[in-house]
Amino acid sequence: MLALGLLLVVIWTCAPATAIAQTTGSNIQPYIERVARQISEFTLANGMKFIVMERHQSPTVSFMTYVDVGSAYEQPGKTGAAHFLEHLAFKGTTRIGTQDYAAEKPLLDRLDQLFEQIKTAEAAGQTQQVAQLKQEFAQTRAAAAALVKQNQYGQIVQQAGGVGLNATTSADATRYFYSFPANKLELWMSLESERFTEPVFREFFEEQDVILEERRMRTDNSPIGKLVEAFLETALPDHPYGRPVIGYEADIRSLTRADIQDLFDTYYTPDRITIGIVGDVNAKQVKQMAEAYFGRYQAKSGAPNMVVTAPAQTEPRSVTVNMPTEPWYMEGYQRPDLTDPDHAVYQMIASLLTGGRTSRLYRALVQQQLALNVNVSSSFPGDQFSNLVLLYAQTAPGQTIEAVATVVASELNRLKTEPVSATELDQVKTQARASLLQTLASNQGMAGLLPEYEAKTGSWRNLFAELNAIEAVTAADVQRVANQLFQPQNLTVGKLMAADS
Amino acid sequence: MARIHCWRQGQPQKWLRYSVMAILMSLLIVIGFGRAPALAVTPRHYTELQFPPAPEVKIPPYTRFELSNGLKVYLVEDHELPLVSGVATVYTGDRLEPADKVGLASIVGQVMRIGGTTQHPAEVMNQFLEQRAASIEIGINTTAGSGGFSALTEDAEEVMGLFAEVLRQPAFPEEWLEFSKNQWRGSIARRNDSPDGIASREFQKLIYGADSPYARTVEYTTLDNISRTDVVNFYRQYFYPNNMQLGILGDFDTQAMRALIEDLFGDWQPTTSPVGRDLWKSLPSVQQAKTGGVFLVDQPQLSQSTVQLGHLGGKLDHPDNAALSIMNEVLNGLGGRLVNEVRSRQGLAYSVYALWAPQFDYPGVFVAGGQTRSDATVPLIQATLTELEKIRTAPITEAELARAKDSVLNAFIFNFATPFQTLSRVMRYDYYGYPQDFIFQYQKRLEATTVADVQRVAQTYLQPEKLVTLVVGNASAIKPPLSDLTPDAKVTKIDVSIPNVKS
Repeated sequence: MLALGLLLVVIWTCAPATAIAQTTGSNIQPYIERVARQISEFTLANGMKFIVMERHQSPTVSFMTYVDVGSAYEQPGKTGAAHFLEHLAFKGTTRIGTQDYAAEKPLLDRLDQLFEQIKTAEAAGQTQQVAQLKQEFAQTRAAAAALVKQNQYGQIVQQAGGVGLNATTSADATRYFYSFPANKLELWMSLESERFTEPVFREFFEEQDVILEERRMRTDNSPIGKLVEAFLETALPDHPYGRPVIGYEADIRSLTRADIQDLFDTYYTPDRITIGIVGDVNAKQVKQMAEAYFGRYQAKSGAPNMVVTAPAQTEPRSVTVNMPTEPWYMEGYQRPDLTDPDHAVYQMIASLLTGGRTSRLYRALVQQQLALNVNVSSSFPGDQFSNLVLLYAQTAPGQTIEAVATVVASELNRLKTEPVSATELDQVKTQARASLLQTLASNQGMAGLLPEYEAKTGSWRNLFAELNAIEAVTAADVQRVANQLFQPQNLTVGKLMAADS
Repeated sequence: MARIHCWRQGQPQKWLRYSVMAILMSLLIVIGFGRAPALAVTPRHYTELQFPPAPEVKIPPYTRFELSNGLKVYLVEDHELPLVSGVATVYTGDRLEPADKVGLASIVGQVMRIGGTTQHPAEVMNQFLEQRAASIEIGINTTAGSGGFSALTEDAEEVMGLFAEVLRQPAFPEEWLEFSKNQWRGSIARRNDSPDGIASREFQKLIYGADSPYARTVEYTTLDNISRTDVVNFYRQYFYPNNMQLGILGDFDTQAMRALIEDLFGDWQPTTSPVGRDLWKSLPSVQQAKTGGVFLVDQPQLSQSTVQLGHLGGKLDHPDNAALSIMNEVLNGLGGRLVNEVRSRQGLAYSVYALWAPQFDYPGVFVAGGQTRSDATVPLIQATLTELEKIRTAPITEAELARAKDSVLNAFIFNFATPFQTLSRVMRYDYYGYPQDFIFQYQKRLEATTVADVQRVAQTYLQPEKLVTLVVGNASAIKPPLSDLTPDAKVTKIDVSIPNVKS
């Protein structure tokens, strides 16, 4: 709900990767295999999947509920619905968050009716009726609010010793997570299962205001937030990733509880929910509890998977956002989704360009004092559908966007024309392995990655298998993919600068 | 959200970094908890559940010793993964740098690392580390210098050798000094690009004073005053074995590590000048600079105001801190009074908070605030003040007290979830001269805190007459205006324009 970075959520998955190497770090494979043996999975009769990793280093456990729906699934005109739902999933259930649900329900229904009537009356220009309706709306809203136990759901979690309670919405997915002391496993089972079997989307209109504030903070009053929004619209028009995760202001204002309920009914089905549990638990016990608690979900066939056909780009595009700010420069190149056989190559290209102080763009731009920093993300804003390799940099004092762009072009061209050296290639492979190794020691990190890989690639094992794909990448692969990718007809340029510069 | 971290974010470039999942350090000690699975499970509502006993806090064993040159060493073995990492903490800090050379300490830290050593120039060192997926970083903040490294076990010895070189023989080449200054110039130029960054910076100045070591900022002129000689001298003043702690964590054998540390650091000569906390004796005492008033940074392009209001706070070792942290809990977090009232009920803000935020060895701040649309600025401030007044003048309920205590005490185990937490806590307490059982003393005080204690501390430490209110927003769109907030209707504008770079 209140996550930092929520808007942009780049699913970089901590530089995936694993072992099987001949060079440095080749002996980390046994560790990875040992970890893999601690992981088990099961699927309930209703289709909900669980992945459990036993890790007994501390008496704590981390949970992740991964719902396979993100902003990409929203209908045009209803942007922001997935994120709105995520906020409302903290509002409680028929039994949590309310003094008396029987008394509350008719008021919530009445508010929905009034909201529709106000919209109709406004459209018809019936000023007097609007005023009347608004008055009744305000009274009903106050009556409903009086029955609410604000934030009781979060309070129960915190009082029981839960930490890190939060959620994020990205273009691809919605994630709910926190950690408990290990003795509270069953409490998570009870709270999380009820959260999505008997949810009540109360305080809808109050939360609408909160989300509008969130949008003002992340987008409207943030130069980089504005650039990202404009950049995606330009780079991915008529594509679900071209719309902002938080939603457009007008859409947020006009969404209704029925819209949220629709999204919930369509996509929060057991077959689209994958749960990760990592920590000091017994996998058998987890399964028994999960069957009892989450077995209560009705099996329901989910929505068909979305097929995205973005209109082909034929020529370079660009967008400039003028705000009183120092300059930012962005380049995005359209690329296929993560099932593409070259997925690992895109990741390698990103590492070669900006992974560390010896990377090519760091040397050419930062070390040469043309840019203060530079980063490349191999997939943005998601990777379930075709997306962008995104590059962004902040100019150094006295330097121009044009100077940065020229050097970027020359470095990208070098990737196309010269094979990368074996040393460079080995280095990024080693870094990928080490990066996964470090993640293995984090309950939260693993609780996040396992369900994501399961949902996106069909198996959590791909988290480890991906290392093989990375290991197999050759200099010729890099050159070939660079030649496909870095073409003018794939490119969108974004510039952020003050109007007078 | 979580209780605290929405309230001070700063630099715009953080926007992507936050989205990458945090990677924690590795854990120690494999404890087997073979628990017999229950036979049948009946789903129950949370009110009907019974739990196994809460897990006990277990602290991983650590070794602490001192070399004959005064270097304090802390070792924690952890064999879960083939990784070794380390931290060095040095008694220094940017609060010790001269007022006309603000930025010096930070530059020393940065150039120690990026400038390479006398034996290993920058380029060679970068290659060496990155080919091994290893890292070495150095930084100096307000109250400490800190270095860190991480490496795969198989490379640990070599990487530690480099780490020792970075600490002992940094080269400080001119070109990297210039690089570091230029990075700072870039950061000065961009410091007004985020409303939250402006608010945090200017609030500190209002509380501590613009020239205070706790609020002053790096300027183009202070950068121009910094020479290589200054950098070398600052380094030479503080980087000695008897002014430093070294902690190593991970996959090693303690005896062998001890020998390696002796080998790498044993011949490093100590200084006879004052070291450790004695260095801080010359620091000026801290007083609140502006006591009261409403201040505005006018940013006409904004549609949302960022508000920070507060006054000088206290130190972490004050006994009343336990009761003050209960007050924090009652006000903040999901279910806290501010979030319930200002966010959830009134829909005024995405983030709203009020925190007593103490520091280890100098007075911290009490700071409240949030972000809201321009026309709701005054209502947001008033709603926040109302909650502060309430907690000062009326006792909290027993239920609130219980919730606050439970939240902290039931989550206490998370202070001990990784060996890294233990290592850094042990070192931090030593660094600031806190007793090693400080966290358990705090736990006891927390358990003993009563409703009356909370009201007493709220009354004593929240001082409405000293509140400074700062708004970063669009003056012409703030209606009702900020002048409504103050009896004399006086709002002081703060000019944040950046002095031009000299050409």
